[in-house]
Amino acid sequence: MPIIELEQVSFTYKEGSKPALTGIDLEINEGEFVGIIGPTGAGKTTLCWAMIGVVPQILRGEFDGRVEVKGLPSNTTPVAQIAQVIGLVQQDAEAQLLMTDIEKEITFPLENLSIPRHEIDRRMNYVLDLVKLRENRQRHPFYLSGGQKQRVAVAAVLAMEPDVLVLDEATSELDPVGAEEIHNLAGDLKQKGKTIIMVEHNIDELARHADRIIVMDQGKIMRNAPTREVLSDVDFLISLGIYPPQVTQVAYTLMKESGKHFDELPITLEEGEAVFSAMREA
Amino acid sequence: MMSEVVLRTENLFYKYPSRQDYALLDVSLEIKKGEFVAIIGQNGSGKTTLVKHFNGLLKPTRGQVIVEGQDTKDIPTSELARSVGYVFQNPDHQIFADSVKEEVVFGPKNLGYDEERIEAAYQRVIQEMDLEGFDDEMPFQLSRGQRQRLAVASVLAMEPTILMVDEPTTGQDWKESMALMKLVKQLNDRGHTCIVTTHSMNLVSLFAKRVIVMREAQVFMDGSTQEVFSQVEQIKNAGIKPPEVYFLARDLLPEFNLDRPLTPEILADLLLTH
Repeated sequence: MPIIELEQVSFTYKEGSKPALTGIDLEINEGEFVGIIGPTGAGKTTLCWAMIGVVPQILRGEFDGRVEVKGLPSNTTPVAQIAQVIGLVQQDAEAQLLMTDIEKEITFPLENLSIPRHEIDRRMNYVLDLVKLRENRQRHPFYLSGGQKQRVAVAAVLAMEPDVLVLDEATSELDPVGAEEIHNLAGDLKQKGKTIIMVEHNIDELARHADRIIVMDQGKIMRNAPTREVLSDVDFLISLGIYPPQVTQVAYTLMKESGKHFDELPITLEEGEAVFSAMREA
Repeated sequence: MMSEVVLRTENLFYKYPSRQDYALLDVSLEIKKGEFVAIIGQNGSGKTTLVKHFNGLLKPTRGQVIVEGQDTKDIPTSELARSVGYVFQNPDHQIFADSVKEEVVFGPKNLGYDEERIEAAYQRVIQEMDLEGFDDEMPFQLSRGQRQRLAVASVLAMEPTILMVDEPTTGQDWKESMALMKLVKQLNDRGHTCIVTTHSMNLVSLFAKRVIVMREAQVFMDGSTQEVFSQVEQIKNAGIKPPEVYFLARDLLPEFNLDRPLTPEILADLLLTH
């Protein structure tokens, strides 16, 4: 069942000369993990903002079409209300953290919603376990690694109990191990039934978790298909300046240059190891 | 042939005034002329603190940093720009002048180069960076790629031996990062020493010949790109995950000794022939 629906959505920023989004049709189902990729300026962030109503309610411009989140029209429903359905984590972990320790970071927004103390404690313990930061709960975010800071930002959003978590380039300032932590966390959350939307440059990590990938360019959706189908189209991705997973590139080179046959191209390391071992044994 | 050492740190210690712990703990390393070095490590490992010593933005708490024979303690930071050029990740954070020419000659003028030298440097770099005929254009009317080349041109006009690039991926997609790195590679081919800090291991593997891994304020590993990335398990302790091809090589070609950095094409070839 779709939890987010976009129909013929177009948007041009007030100061913009050309549309940031053009004729977007998109449905995202409950419990799905969707990756969004594309070059800079493709409209990926604008699409996320349109889902949470920041576009066009806060960032204004010419808006056309329909966006519905759990039945709420996101261009007219108060953003604070939509935030209870969709949580957004952005690139700069530091800028999202306000408080002097992790517990406060998580409880502050809940206190503002006048949620009872015992419920706040329950949620805090739950999200701290999810992001594996329970032992650090009283630390100042300053003393955390980049990956840990971003996990705090995710925990604070999750404590609001949204149905959907949107991660907009949430790993791009993290070292590889920190980025992997966030991807694994997103994978775990999907297993627990959350809907995950992840805008990412790191295609290798996305390949492991995403059910479906949307490729955007110049405000339009160019592809919207299961992960393997999108990532197997190596020439298409390279033409858009996107670096496909290296395992996929290895298989593609073997296919093209040496006529090797693969039933399907591997997209993760585990698949690559299996497929290439089999090839060498044959 | 022994190459000349252009940059050396000797028992370098650094402590930020506001912090208890050292951000650099006894770092000694040498970088030779013409090398292409990537410095990698987790956020907070000390890599940014280290490279800030190379262009004099920071001066050692203890120990020495020697750039082209000179102790950075003895030279003002502005003077170090003659030796070390710093290319910003985003050209728009660097460009400020109203015309292409003004932008490029600003640095050499500040360093007190004479008219003739400035003009010669200008002509050379706009040719090298493919920006001829744009002299009076407003930088912000150039394309993104042209602005990137302009930013590099204005650094090159100061004729530095060493070029530093800090995180070429921030705010840029793969294509834009590749364009900048290809530009840096051309300069490396012409003899410039290049030092890059980045989180993109794919970029490191495609361009760097040597990798220095920082961990907890110290040098954790230092070697050729393929030597460092082949140690896929040890390097995890420094928060680094090598490109996928190194995992494939470890598991499928365990006996093979890599003699150059791996790309998907090279690995495909090795899988067929070894």
